[in-house]
Amino acid sequence: MTATNRLWFEAMRYTLIVAALIIFLIPIAWMATLAFKPVAEWTTAISEITWLPKNPTLGNFEFIFTGETDEVVITLPNTATRPIFASLVVASLSTLLAVVVGTLGAYGVSRFGVGKNLPLSVLQLRLFPPMAVMIPVMMMWSYLALVDTFWGLSLIYGIVTLPFSFWLMKTFFDEVPREIEEAALVEGCSQWRVFYRVTIPMVKAPLATTVLFVFILNWSDYIIALLLTRKDWVTIPVYMNSLNTAMTGEMYGAKAAMGLIAAIPPVVLGIIIQKHLVRGLTFGALKQ
Amino acid sequence: MTTSTTTVTGAPELSLAQQGVKLGRWMTLPTQLLLVFIFAFPGAMIIYVSMSWWGPLDGVPWYYAYESLNWFDNYAELLEDERFWGSMWRTFIIMIVVVPVEFFLGLGLAILFVDNFALKRVFYSVLLMPMMVVPAVAGYMFYILFQSNGPINQLLSLITGYEIDLVWLSDPDNAFIAIMVADIWQWTPLMFLILLAGLLGVPEDQLKAATLLGANWAQKFWRIALPKMRIVMVIALVIRAVEAFKLFDVMYVMTKGGPGVATETISVYIYKVTFLELEWSYVSAIGFAVLMFLTALGGIGIAILANAQKKKRLADVVD
Repeated sequence: MTATNRLWFEAMRYTLIVAALIIFLIPIAWMATLAFKPVAEWTTAISEITWLPKNPTLGNFEFIFTGETDEVVITLPNTATRPIFASLVVASLSTLLAVVVGTLGAYGVSRFGVGKNLPLSVLQLRLFPPMAVMIPVMMMWSYLALVDTFWGLSLIYGIVTLPFSFWLMKTFFDEVPREIEEAALVEGCSQWRVFYRVTIPMVKAPLATTVLFVFILNWSDYIIALLLTRKDWVTIPVYMNSLNTAMTGEMYGAKAAMGLIAAIPPVVLGIIIQKHLVRGLTFGALKQ
Repeated sequence: MTTSTTTVTGAPELSLAQQGVKLGRWMTLPTQLLLVFIFAFPGAMIIYVSMSWWGPLDGVPWYYAYESLNWFDNYAELLEDERFWGSMWRTFIIMIVVVPVEFFLGLGLAILFVDNFALKRVFYSVLLMPMMVVPAVAGYMFYILFQSNGPINQLLSLITGYEIDLVWLSDPDNAFIAIMVADIWQWTPLMFLILLAGLLGVPEDQLKAATLLGANWAQKFWRIALPKMRIVMVIALVIRAVEAFKLFDVMYVMTKGGPGVATETISVYIYKVTFLELEWSYVSAIGFAVLMFLTALGGIGIAILANAQKKKRLADVVD
């Protein structure tokens, strides 16, 4: 490539990337700024739309957390505190379930070759649209009195994200050199002790990645919580979308504030585990 | 597993490999149990209930469904259900449009990121953000963007110079477009991520050799990079196609399947029959049919993947 060609290419590259960045950021930016806009600026005529709030306010956050604010006449019966708590509890418990079960299973398959069909069966869980599977699950959950409980929701989340933890840990275990484990076995260590004293410390960082990855997935669910919660354990996305039906008209700003709170943890965690995202999203088929 | 017990009981000592298999069985047991729990019971339940008229308002638990056993009436109804076929068709159309668009946009972006340049890491992180946004929240973002008095119309007015006042979400065709835009926005980063990983996995020595032999950029891309990326591409397409078929969150938040049934996909349709019409036996039949359909599709997908892998192995041998 000649120098001028090179320059052209670089100019093109930056133009295209910046264009993509702007397009990708507009929706996020619009919601983020809307969260700080007072009621008067929620909706405007086309010619008057403002990108940045003219009179920035924390009223929307005040409204969803305390249930009332000077700007709106109505009060909110359910504040956002409980859904945030519910999302945290359920996402954490289900992540624990998925990662513990997935790690054990992956190690069994990776080291001892038991369950030849297990990896594919686990993967099959991921193939089905949740909606088609959820009818019997709903019937089962209501029969077992699991609807609108944190353990019921955690159980189904743990099962749904099991394919990710299982496959991720399997690829990580496959990559751990066996020599160290074999040395420990020769020393007379039992195989279970080798697993939790030798192997687990070696995969500490990948394990942490798996935990964060599965947490993001559990945090992001909408459809399952919509079907299996009623009141006590409603999660953030369900709560957010119920905000407008509960009262007269659209609560644009309040929903934006809630959406912003829901969006921040996965984005931050996602950037932390960026290096392993490819592996996670392709069930370990690819890595970077 | 100590030797002392074997001398007492006289049981033969297990070899290391046998011990391993035994421990492996225990370790995979929780996974197996969860799989049985989620496959066997709901599977049996869905088939059983789908062959009756049972509904949640019948006043009897689901296991009494045999009282209104009708064998395959629900499935016969399904064959003539225009709303079902309509929603399947719409799901298919969305998949067919959205997946290739995401693929090519992602590939284009990935090509820009192959070599190093200033601020690469920052750009990379920001480009991945849409994918990490909770889908229901992403749906809400586009819901407010596509309001008639929202910023999309304003931006279009700015660009074209005319006062554009389009109705988006309550117009059948435009709502469809709006939903596709939201899906493309959210999942192009995934394609970008996977395809970039594929491009970076192309062996550098081969590219260098090609450069020495006088190959230009396009030749290197078409002749070396693309054939090496076949599997990566298949994986990316299969994953996105499966996920596109499941589309619910974004669409439900943006349009609830409306106006009318204009944007009703299969998931939204099932949701509506479940909660608005409460025909749970019919829903079970739909669910089972969809599961069978996807299992068949998944089988084909896995076959294609295995084939691509075989071809790659052959190609590697030739290299």
